Amino acid sequence: MKTFELIRLALSRLGSARLRAGLTMLGIIIGVASVVALVAVGQGATRGITSRLEALGTNLLTVNPGASFSGFTRGAAGSAASLTVEDATAIGTIGGIAGVAPELSTQALVVAGSKNTTTTIVGTTASYAAVRNQTIWVGSFLTDASNAGALRVAVLGSTTADTLGLGQSALGQTIHIGGLPFTVIGILQAKGSTGPSNQDDQVLVPLTTARHSFVGGDRVRSIGVSVATAAGITDAKDAITALLRQRHGTNGTNDDFSIQDQAQLLGTAESVSTLLSILLAGIASISLLVGGIGIMNIMLVSVRERTREIGIRKAIGARGSDILAQFLIEALTLSLLGGLIGIVVGVGISALIGEIAGWGFVFSPVTVIVAAVFSLIVGVVFGVWPARQAAQLDPIAALRFE
Amino acid sequence: MSGSDAWSRPVPSREPAAWGGAPAGEPAAWGGPALASDSVISLRGVSRIYSTGRLQVPALLDVDLDVAPGEFLAVVGPSGSGKSTLMHILGCLDRPTAGSYRLAGTSVAELADDDLARLRSRTIGFVFQSYNLLPRTTALENVAAPLLYQGVDRKTRLARAAASLERLGLGDRLAHEPNELSGGEQQRVAVARALVTDPALLLADEPTGNLDSASGAEVMRLFDELHEQGRTLVLITHDHEVAARARRQVHVRDGRLVDGRPAA
Repeated sequence: MKTFELIRLALSRLGSARLRAGLTMLGIIIGVASVVALVAVGQGATRGITSRLEALGTNLLTVNPGASFSGFTRGAAGSAASLTVEDATAIGTIGGIAGVAPELSTQALVVAGSKNTTTTIVGTTASYAAVRNQTIWVGSFLTDASNAGALRVAVLGSTTADTLGLGQSALGQTIHIGGLPFTVIGILQAKGSTGPSNQDDQVLVPLTTARHSFVGGDRVRSIGVSVATAAGITDAKDAITALLRQRHGTNGTNDDFSIQDQAQLLGTAESVSTLLSILLAGIASISLLVGGIGIMNIMLVSVRERTREIGIRKAIGARGSDILAQFLIEALTLSLLGGLIGIVVGVGISALIGEIAGWGFVFSPVTVIVAAVFSLIVGVVFGVWPARQAAQLDPIAALRFE
Repeated sequence: MSGSDAWSRPVPSREPAAWGGAPAGEPAAWGGPALASDSVISLRGVSRIYSTGRLQVPALLDVDLDVAPGEFLAVVGPSGSGKSTLMHILGCLDRPTAGSYRLAGTSVAELADDDLARLRSRTIGFVFQSYNLLPRTTALENVAAPLLYQGVDRKTRLARAAASLERLGLGDRLAHEPNELSGGEQQRVAVARALVTDPALLLADEPTGNLDSASGAEVMRLFDELHEQGRTLVLITHDHEVAARARRQVHVRDGRLVDGRPAA
């Protein structure tokens, strides 16, 4: 009952000094808002990175050839031509593997009418779409039949199609790749990736066609393997390693291949962005701390200004604990109200940033609860000292205070 | 003075039961049988010595004083005589360094700060020279404030505060803040606040010191009325004219009570 009365008293006091209360709360508002917003930015960035990595193919293992040796000189990793189409076929027989897509790649000039571009030509199989998480925008993808017949058909990446000025109407049109005519059978959906290994800027042709027309031999540049479940990735990796060692007659010290794990990449990216989130939250909590000191400052000034009031209250029967409660509740009200406004502002800012950055609205209830609890703690920590000072005032001295 | 039970019920009251405001079920702290024939105030050998470093400054020395229920006593002395210190001790705002003080039967020396606050809240009503009303707070809330610290619920608090103000003719000033009231009105609000808890003792420190003579006379008339209603009043003043209104005077000089005899 009495606590409620003291809350009412504190609120009416704050109400009579609205400007000061508002300015004091501003510190907490900024602190809490920046914690909420920056944590949301960190989480949004994590989600953005994760979704882009997942776009490269889920549960993806990439088998790359090892380094080539020229005498005693070791070449770059992947420079050996140790993987064959047969290796890919053999990997496809391992249990728990959803798809295998051997890949051959080369650079070639692509000409469509009056436009041309030099891009990556990838020779692969029908499984490529599933393994690399590619979807077709118009037309159709490579088929087993086109591979079997080594047909001169091409599926264009979205960027390549744009560069060549080809749209939906390009289906059936003839383009020239490395001087050879190919029929366009499909255009891929854009994946929004960028950089040197841009999956939107490539031309897919049947593996057999690529071997006949551009590369020769039965060697492949890499083998993409899609594992059925994320849990099976480690097992699949071990099984592929064992299989290839057996097929290539290696024993672990002289492996002529390596297996890249998408999950590893994902894990690294996630730990980096978690670190980023912690860093951002750390910076933001400094402003929360400064806001708390602002509250303490105002409360100390307030205790000094209201010394006489405290003396009067003590004379008419207030105990030290009543005075302590009154000032503590004022500090708590400032920090909690500031915290709540800060949460609303922070959620608003994070929604805005999410909208601009394109990863959507990230709402984290944990952050909101932590921010609310933290502002409560700030109120108690920075309110207790001024409140104790008020409570311990000598009533006689306080009454004499002018 | 009239009989020893006079303070517990107004005797020659023009407004019967006017101040018997304590609701049933809430016995006043001073209303115990042990006090029935006791003094409201009983000081025995009370000294208050201020220690500043090695220097010892006696503000009060060996004071004996008794105030019977229903008495109207003036403590008179020039500034620096120790009468403020005496008032602080009487008001339980300060504790004697030596001697014993019993207020309404309770020995003050043994009380912790919180108990002292409770005793103040239930037993004493203060009236100060500078009114000491809470700023930016309405007259009604000011008068209700002491009841807050007694844990009285808001509705009862405001009702009792309004009743107390109305008895002092301030019924039309309930919503006014101190800076909207004249000095005389502020002091009447302060008296209303002092009386709202129905205290055993009304302690007034230079109540007319800041008032013009008309308002001062009005406040003194109020004290006369309260005395007639059976209140125990202790008035601290340097003004002999004011002191003359009391039924009994004691003089403080250099920390000693010069004349503690009851008036004839």
